[in-house]
Amino acid sequence: MKSNIFLNSKDVFLDVVNHKDYVQLDRVSTIYQSLKDSVKKPLKMVLLYGKPGTGKSMFLTKLYSDLSSLQKVYLYQTPILDESEFYKKLAFDLFQEEHTSELNFTQFMSILNQHVTNEIPLVLLDEAQLYSNILMEKIRLLSDTRKIKFVITLHKTEKEDLIAKEHFQTRIWESIELENASSAELKIYIQKKLMKANCFDSANMFQNKNINLIYKITNGNYRDTNKLLYTLFDIYAWYEQNNPAKISLNQVSNKIIEMSAIHTGLLDA
Amino acid sequence: MLNVIELENRWKTYKIKSFIPHAIIAASVLLISVVGYSFLQSKESNQVSSQKNVVSETIDVSTHTQNETKTETAVVQETKTKPTIVENQEPLAQKIPLETPRDASADAKMKLAPSLSFIHEMNSNIPYYQNTEASQATSDAQNLYQSQEQTQEEVIEEENEEKIVQAEEVKSVKIERKNTHDDILQVIERFKKSNDPALSLFVAKKYYELEDYHKSYNYALITNELNNNIEASWIIFAKSLVKLNEKEMALKTLRQYIEHSGSNQAKLLLEEIRNGKFK
Repeated sequence: MKSNIFLNSKDVFLDVVNHKDYVQLDRVSTIYQSLKDSVKKPLKMVLLYGKPGTGKSMFLTKLYSDLSSLQKVYLYQTPILDESEFYKKLAFDLFQEEHTSELNFTQFMSILNQHVTNEIPLVLLDEAQLYSNILMEKIRLLSDTRKIKFVITLHKTEKEDLIAKEHFQTRIWESIELENASSAELKIYIQKKLMKANCFDSANMFQNKNINLIYKITNGNYRDTNKLLYTLFDIYAWYEQNNPAKISLNQVSNKIIEMSAIHTGLLDA
Repeated sequence: MLNVIELENRWKTYKIKSFIPHAIIAASVLLISVVGYSFLQSKESNQVSSQKNVVSETIDVSTHTQNETKTETAVVQETKTKPTIVENQEPLAQKIPLETPRDASADAKMKLAPSLSFIHEMNSNIPYYQNTEASQATSDAQNLYQSQEQTQEEVIEEENEEKIVQAEEVKSVKIERKNTHDDILQVIERFKKSNDPALSLFVAKKYYELEDYHKSYNYALITNELNNNIEASWIIFAKSLVKLNEKEMALKTLRQYIEHSGSNQAKLLLEEIRNGKFK
């Protein structure tokens, strides 16, 4: 039974992007609301950027989930790197036109001009830093037609900053930056996530000193925190099964946190 | 798949690694503090040893001074009673080195006395004075120290003898001179206590009058060291030098003083020495 607690808790931190796992934190909620408002505005493009693991994909998924019942919204979580495939996919999703042969930019523009709709479709492109520069330039031209609205996410690295500068600086009317969680936010994040899955016992095991150590190791990065806690509960489950005397159920052991960090590569042993 | 046992070992390695910088810092701090402490200790011990040297010197000087004071007192007592009693001082001088060393607190007190160098200097003068003045020391003083009863008897005898001598030689120059010396000794004692340059100047003048030019020179010098703006000390100093056949040095000293102060009296003396009026 106890093992189930740890196993259930472990599953909570599986690194998957699911809008149901979205944890409402004050700052994150404000940013999300800001994103929703931006989408309603007559903007050509919205840029969502931040370091890896700050929750961009989760935001995009959540936005898709929230808006899909209200308007035409399309989410491309995996980048379509081939240009022709990208246009064909857009043509099919937006206008239900299936093209078996090659489709180039000019052809797609003509398709776009043929369809006059009152509602501007919203296309959500995740991991946009993987698109080629040429394709990014064409996406920019598409957004200039004001017949498609794009929300794209970018990793905030030096290279991606450059891309953002070159392609979107003058085009984007709104850019939203996502940051790592603070220590307090991280505590809420962990506990809310566990409580959402009814893992109240394990949620109560986290003390401030544990959170501080986790924050120190992960620097408040959500993805790293998920990885760390997944391993943590995996180790707890192992101890529970093999050597239960070595663990306390009242408080998370910093030793096991560090062991998890070593296992996940967050600490160099 | 998790290998928790191996992970525990890796965690131990990590812990050891993470403690190494702290251990190095702690060891460095400890080393620095130990080195610093030993350095301070050695510095303090050096200071203590140098202080000990100073104290031992002070002990010598102070013992000497004490001896001197006692001898002087004895001289005063004896001269008051009878001139011949002064002869008893030689045994006194022999007795003094046998005295036990003074305790550390007394030494410390003596060490703080600012005029030890002068006292030391004077110590060399006074025995000379005692020797000259009381060259006929006898066994009376020995008796004074050997047994109190004997001393008392001696005192009685001395008092009788004094009466006789005073009756016989009441008008002799020798007695007057000894009285002058008594005065000087009293002033010297006062000077030792107060270090007042006026007193040392007085002593210098008195010795000059008594034609003891070595002492007048010494006390003029002492006065000058205490206060080099006293014109009279310069004059006595120069005059004593002339009397000690150090005319050139006297002239040089006066010239320096005139250059410094423009003293008319010094100028006059300079001229007199040059002209040979003052010899």
